[in-house]
Amino acid sequence: MANPWPDNGLLTLVWFVLCILAVMLPVVLAVAFVIYFDRKIWAAMQLRRGPNVVGPFGILQSFADGIKLVLKETVVPASANKGVFFIAPVLTFVLAMVAWAVIPWGYINGVKLVISDINVGILYLFAISSLGVYGIIMSGWASNSRYPFLGGLRSAAQMVSYEVSIGFVLITVLLCVGSLNLSDIIEAQRNMWFFIPLFPMFIIFLISALAETNRPPFDLPEAEAELVAGYQVEYSSMTFAMFWLGEYANILLMCAMISILFFGGWLPPFAFLDFIPGPIWLILKIAVFFFVFSWVKAAVPRYRYDQLMRLGWKVFLPISLGAVVVVSGFLVAFDLLPNKG
Amino acid sequence: MIEVPALLPALPEIILAIGALALLMLGVFTGEKSLRTVSALAVLLLLAAAAAVLPGYRDTVVTFGGMFVSDSFGGFCKILILLGSALSIIISVDYLERENLKRFEYPVLIVLATLGMLMMVSSNDLIALYIGLETQSLALYVMAAFSRDSARSTEAGLKYFVLGALSSGMLLYGSSLIYGFTGGTSFSLIAAAVSGSGPVPIGVLLGLVFVMAGLAFKVSAVPFHMWTPDVYEGAPTPVTAFFAVAPKIAAMALLVRTMFGAFPEISDQWQQILVFLSIASMVVGAVFAIVQTNIKRLMAYSSIGHVGYALMGVATGTPDGVKSVLVYLAIYLAMNVGAFALIIAMRRKDGATESIADLAGLSRTRPAMAFALAIFMFSLAGIPPLAGFFGKFYVFIAAIEANLTFLAVIGALASAVSAFYYLRIVKVMYFDEPADAFDVNTGRGITAVATVSALVTLLFFVFPAPIVGAAAYAAQSLFQ
Amino acid sequence: MILQTITFYLFAAITIAAGFMVIAARNPVHSVLYLILAFFTSAGLFVLIGAEFIAMILVIVYVGAVAVLFLFVVMMLDINFTELRQGFLQYLPIGGLIGLALLIELIMVVGVWQFGPEVAGHAIPQATTNGMTNTEALGNIIYTQYVYAFQAAGVILLIAMIGAIVLTHRTRPGVKKQRISSQVYRDPKTTIEVKKIKPGQGI
Repeated sequence: MANPWPDNGLLTLVWFVLCILAVMLPVVLAVAFVIYFDRKIWAAMQLRRGPNVVGPFGILQSFADGIKLVLKETVVPASANKGVFFIAPVLTFVLAMVAWAVIPWGYINGVKLVISDINVGILYLFAISSLGVYGIIMSGWASNSRYPFLGGLRSAAQMVSYEVSIGFVLITVLLCVGSLNLSDIIEAQRNMWFFIPLFPMFIIFLISALAETNRPPFDLPEAEAELVAGYQVEYSSMTFAMFWLGEYANILLMCAMISILFFGGWLPPFAFLDFIPGPIWLILKIAVFFFVFSWVKAAVPRYRYDQLMRLGWKVFLPISLGAVVVVSGFLVAFDLLPNKG
Repeated sequence: MIEVPALLPALPEIILAIGALALLMLGVFTGEKSLRTVSALAVLLLLAAAAAVLPGYRDTVVTFGGMFVSDSFGGFCKILILLGSALSIIISVDYLERENLKRFEYPVLIVLATLGMLMMVSSNDLIALYIGLETQSLALYVMAAFSRDSARSTEAGLKYFVLGALSSGMLLYGSSLIYGFTGGTSFSLIAAAVSGSGPVPIGVLLGLVFVMAGLAFKVSAVPFHMWTPDVYEGAPTPVTAFFAVAPKIAAMALLVRTMFGAFPEISDQWQQILVFLSIASMVVGAVFAIVQTNIKRLMAYSSIGHVGYALMGVATGTPDGVKSVLVYLAIYLAMNVGAFALIIAMRRKDGATESIADLAGLSRTRPAMAFALAIFMFSLAGIPPLAGFFGKFYVFIAAIEANLTFLAVIGALASAVSAFYYLRIVKVMYFDEPADAFDVNTGRGITAVATVSALVTLLFFVFPAPIVGAAAYAAQSLFQ
Repeated sequence: MILQTITFYLFAAITIAAGFMVIAARNPVHSVLYLILAFFTSAGLFVLIGAEFIAMILVIVYVGAVAVLFLFVVMMLDINFTELRQGFLQYLPIGGLIGLALLIELIMVVGVWQFGPEVAGHAIPQATTNGMTNTEALGNIIYTQYVYAFQAAGVILLIAMIGAIVLTHRTRPGVKKQRISSQVYRDPKTTIEVKKIKPGQGI
């Protein structure tokens, strides 16, 4: 978005804060509804009714939960490492929020809706999502308790492993685009959304995104059957809520990344649907992929730890590495490289 | 369209790099029993790379944006290095099988280390220098700790790694200073920047000192030699054999390349440092070896001493000096490979032994082995008419011609002192009461390598012309 | 500009403070966390000078992968670090002396470089980007001028990997592993036998 007060220190700062709020508040609100949505879908798949008491259709359930958490007492374990213990949930939440800074929402009246349209947008997203592991590993360590620690270790190994294949999938997309800018990536899909030529990469990315956000079937860090709740065991009230918010904001972010990388971001599926503005399309796509996430959570049993590692290192890594070679070879052989010259 | 740099000058390196990958795949898919196959193929690979050096031997070609130079100096050293690596694989296999170190990574690591050495020899840029050096060093660190169940080997690897990292740090610090003050990393740019009139900027001199300290560590010149005895003693014997030969040649060649390539105009600055390093190495190598009881430690100090002689040749700063260094390195290769082949063969029923006392009376239990070892010891001591004598002879002549007579005199004195401990081994073998006999089954590889290198050492004086001529030609290519 | 200046000093101060805390923190895990903070703020500094690609790679590689492993290892190690530090004061004079020498050298060097007219001519060449983003500019020289160093760096990483495997990987006998392929290729014909049992006879 263009800054109406350029070259003016303080007002620029105010403008930035306004932009940030304009994206952050809807995201936090969306998280509240998305949690409700998640529980409803899950309940429906198990032939239950889900939350249905607070508000019409239980739609205000998340707010009730939120108020409850805020009002509760924050319990800190006596032997916890206090500083790190409190930084961890804040970090999770903040990282899940700052990533939204580069997500482009499309054009309204010729104005591009994005806080920061940086050249290396996709790397920024990748970098921020790779930092997500710290919230978990720090909370696991700082709780000074067995189960959280095990959860933290599991999550560190898991997220680092799946990041590798996510990185390679990103490279295949970038090869087809020739730019690291998210808007360019979307514009490059005007003729064909990338999930068609890069379908296997889309599948790998989707599954790795599940692993990266610790969603079932890869929720080993918090596996309640084995680790009670993993790294979250010792957290209560607001700190717990922050983990919760951060986790769901991360899931939404992953859905947004899938939409942008493979499903044309704010582009409409058909040219004649152009009259519907870009942000609506992007939000719709995010909602669809969130439904997929919930669906998977309800339908698939949890992976065993060795199976998880095997899938990451022995299946996804070779396939995605091979795909980088194949895609780049294909682009060179048929002279389809973007930005020639 | 992107311009592809000329790849042909780097053909030996490319052969080694691709070959190493292929060998790695072969080893991974055939498992542990493939040591012999992979070793044989690795030797072939090294020889193929040596053959690939020959076509471009006479021309000086610079490629990869000035980072890589292929000339006859490089060619000469590359062939020596490749031969040294190939021979050390040949003498290793039996030992590895018996000591339960049967792992196919060993030859692969040697090939990769050799690749690093070739890159060092051909480097024409500070970046290429550093990268070649690290390629070599990283493989060597791993090899030093190769016998991972032995505490001494692990200690050797760790010590080598920590001190090596320190020396790399010094080298990098020096390189960054040089880059900052000359505005370039390429040797030709640096040479142009320091050749102008007026004083040389102090930053370049500081950088030069740091770079030389880093390189002196790699050739194990005194006072950067502390790691050598421990690493030589702790590492498995075939690894020590490899350390004593190929990396020394590569690091010495790199030192020559850097000094003559990047700083030819300020040779008076680095000559004094080299003179000091040379004297210190010769003296320490000669004196400290006397008290050693472990033959690998003794060889470590011996190699430090020999580095001192070779540095004398570099310190002259003349084409003759470089020629003498090349001849010295070639002869050093032959003597050391042979001597280490026999040290590897020192084994009894209950395992390998490495103390000098174990050699007692070898002349009666294994006369051929004793004779060969005696030849190598005499040659290392520099006794005419063996090859070692000629090596020292050329170096001394070059030093005297460059008005460094005092250096040659100190060299001769150190040589006399060092003769003491070499001859002590001969005395132990020929005049002491026999200890238990060694295993008869030394393995064909070791026998062949020891025999050939003994013949070369013995008969060098009959046909010195090809090697000396080639070395002279190679040395000339640095001074064009 | 004022915002940039403020941001610069903020990041720079945090980087230095975090760097100091890396060696001053009593708890090794805190040291690693401060190291991560230092990496992160350095990435911020890179962004400020317009090197956004390097900044992101710094975060992805160092913070996202290397430091996670550091943290992992430090958390798992059961080392009494206060014990390790006991020799610290003993070596402090020597360490300080070396540090001082390096500092003096740096001052000399920077001083000469700054004020020496004779070296001004060899100033470091400026990169010409021709309006490319710095990702493109980097790619353009890495794959042409510096392709040799780039490939060789790949070889170094390969050696490091082989080394790690050689030194640590052990095949333990008697470990039960899931063999997916043998599970998939398991055939009912070879594993199940259908027997007809006449009533009252048993097998």
